[in-house]
Amino acid sequence: MKKNNLILYGSLLFFGLVAPFIFPAFKLQISFLWILIVLAMTWDVQGGQMGYNTFGNILFFGVGMYICASTQIGMFFPLAEWTEAGGEKTFIHTAPQYFQGFFVGLILAGIIPMIIAGLIGYGILGLRGHYFAICTLGLGIAAGEIAGGIEIIGAGQGMTMPPWPKNIGDTELRSEFFYFICFALVVATFVFLKWAYSTRFGLVLNAIRDNEDKAEAMGIYTMRYKIIGWMVSAFFVGIAGGLMGNMVGYIEPVEVAFAGPTFGVFMVLMAILGGKGTLWGPVIGATFFHLFKEGFWTFFLGWQYVALGVLIVVIVVFFPEGIMGWLREKYPERFGEVVDEADRKAQVTLK
Amino acid sequence: MKIKNFIITFVSAIALLLSTSTISLAKVVGDKIILGAAVSLTGKYSTNGEHTKNGYNFAVDRINSMGGVKVGGKTYKFDIIYYDDESNSGRAAQLAERLIKQDGVQYMLGPYSSGLTKAIAPVTEENKIPMVEANGASRSLFTKGYKYLFAVLSAANQYLEVAIDLAVEKNGGKPIKIAMAFEQDAFSQDVRIGVVDAAKRTGSKITIDDKLPKELNDMAATLAKVKATKPDVLVVSGHSKGALTAIRQIAEMKVDVKMLAMTHCDASKLAKQHGKNSEYALCAAQWHKSLSYKDKFFGNGMKYDKEFKAQYGYNPPYQAAESSAALLVWKDAFERANSLDKDKVRDALAKTDMQTFYGNIKFSPAGQNIAKPMVLFQVRCEGDKCENKVVAPTKWAAAELVHPIPKWSDR
Repeated sequence: MKKNNLILYGSLLFFGLVAPFIFPAFKLQISFLWILIVLAMTWDVQGGQMGYNTFGNILFFGVGMYICASTQIGMFFPLAEWTEAGGEKTFIHTAPQYFQGFFVGLILAGIIPMIIAGLIGYGILGLRGHYFAICTLGLGIAAGEIAGGIEIIGAGQGMTMPPWPKNIGDTELRSEFFYFICFALVVATFVFLKWAYSTRFGLVLNAIRDNEDKAEAMGIYTMRYKIIGWMVSAFFVGIAGGLMGNMVGYIEPVEVAFAGPTFGVFMVLMAILGGKGTLWGPVIGATFFHLFKEGFWTFFLGWQYVALGVLIVVIVVFFPEGIMGWLREKYPERFGEVVDEADRKAQVTLK
Repeated sequence: MKIKNFIITFVSAIALLLSTSTISLAKVVGDKIILGAAVSLTGKYSTNGEHTKNGYNFAVDRINSMGGVKVGGKTYKFDIIYYDDESNSGRAAQLAERLIKQDGVQYMLGPYSSGLTKAIAPVTEENKIPMVEANGASRSLFTKGYKYLFAVLSAANQYLEVAIDLAVEKNGGKPIKIAMAFEQDAFSQDVRIGVVDAAKRTGSKITIDDKLPKELNDMAATLAKVKATKPDVLVVSGHSKGALTAIRQIAEMKVDVKMLAMTHCDASKLAKQHGKNSEYALCAAQWHKSLSYKDKFFGNGMKYDKEFKAQYGYNPPYQAAESSAALLVWKDAFERANSLDKDKVRDALAKTDMQTFYGNIKFSPAGQNIAKPMVLFQVRCEGDKCENKVVAPTKWAAAELVHPIPKWSDR
């Protein structure tokens, strides 16, 4: 079993590292896949492990994106002048400025959403079930509208990111650079969550999902864990947002940053598709979802959303527990569950 | 733990899938010059995206059937690879990258709307791929020093400046009170900048300055304020949906203003959809069929209008016309460059100076078309049949501007 694990992680890591060189044309798509996996995995911290369906994680995505962009620009140039009328003056980042700004921006893009998650979480994580879901749904929508009214970050005009510095490398190098940053992020997220789920923290999250009142009665400060859980999600989602902004190159408040109808829904869908509440579920879900969508996008132009709708219906009807859940039901012994054959047969005959 | 085996299989299946998908370098295939375009076939811009696509296709068919493009003694035909950007700027940027990197496209056509063009321009610029676009009018596109972007249309801030000047003129040269409501998007916000400039220039006062959300379905709050403050001009801009919403609610609430200035009246088929309710609305347009420009492919505007209708079943709005013009610009540039090299073609594009049925085209160093003015038309009805009549500039005016608009009680 140990050896098997090693082969699995080794081959995945190997795949991630060499992918941009084997499939150079698909670098961008695979980079997006890593981002999607991060979104699905972090959503699963709430939606799957903790049993709190949130639609608000997109808030951190957008905030991270704007924070990263503003830092990258604001560190070296007056931000207001940059965004006013979409950059009436043309500012050019030198290579050191670009990378300094980028890394500082990325760190802040993680930390600030994390703080916001802590503050908001303190206020609303007392809500449960549908009330929490609706409340977070409102957060994402409100954030988009508010961002669309703030002049210094371009308001409805949107914001253009600093271009890749001219004197180093070409566009290939740029794609490779962002590819590896995305890959590093997905690995970091995975390793962190795998570790976190193996500690008491993971058990508490599951306890909250299974019976929050009982967990509280057992002396667990559930609120504290709920807030920390959300902050963890916000940290990784914020960084993903900062990366996304740089890869797309243009931030639009409602369509790119606080993209509730697209990424906001996708992250939920991917986690459920793969199987929520499992470590691998969101990863598999995101991969399947991305392939499915890209495939339809290319070969059945204009039908991709119809197909997506059908996919959702199929998932809900036939795989309510997701791909992982379905596999688990079908092959429980492969998940380390012991099935008593006699017991199972007895149940059948009882019917 | 067999599940791990399953995951390994899954990953290798994906790897296999990716490596077997063919990557075609589609710059020129056989006798075809491949252009790439991401247009909105779904989402909030789907109507205008369709106009854009039809405009492109109409011109491609026409150019191909009239002898194609002659480069270096060989005749080529145009072909376009389309993707659906879902009216989403994030998607649009991804698709541009995909067209360039995966499909090997070397020549791009623009998407619909300023916002999406703004999303695509950094990508084409970075990859040094020339793009002729016909539907991105935002001023900020032309202030970034882009070298590979060429727009056949007039900039957005010019859309309604003329209307404000006209209103001041009708007011005996005295400043006026302006109420305005603009959608939160790149294009409408630029139209707003134009109106604000015009207001400053004429010393006019802006009494209402509302920002409206995207997917504009309700602007009753703004209209209530307009009713109370009685401004001289009401300016509304929010693509097709904004125009339709504005007219519907103005009629429902019986809002009286002396002048109602808008954008996107013809793309939203305002005169047809709202009939008499839309009468007297003043609209900015890039093109109108009655203008007297000519070229050898489409003849003139009237002919274009007729033939387009015969093929697609509706009268072409200016969005379709300008899209067709983009193809004429490409053909002209290829032939003048006499080469398929993208940089040579770019240089040829920069030197474009031609007349099309859509208007004169000559690019400023920033890639903006500086040879074509905007036109204003007013919706006028005879009986139940409503039509757009050009009222400004006076050179092409087919009708006199009705000012002020009759009150709802007198209609």
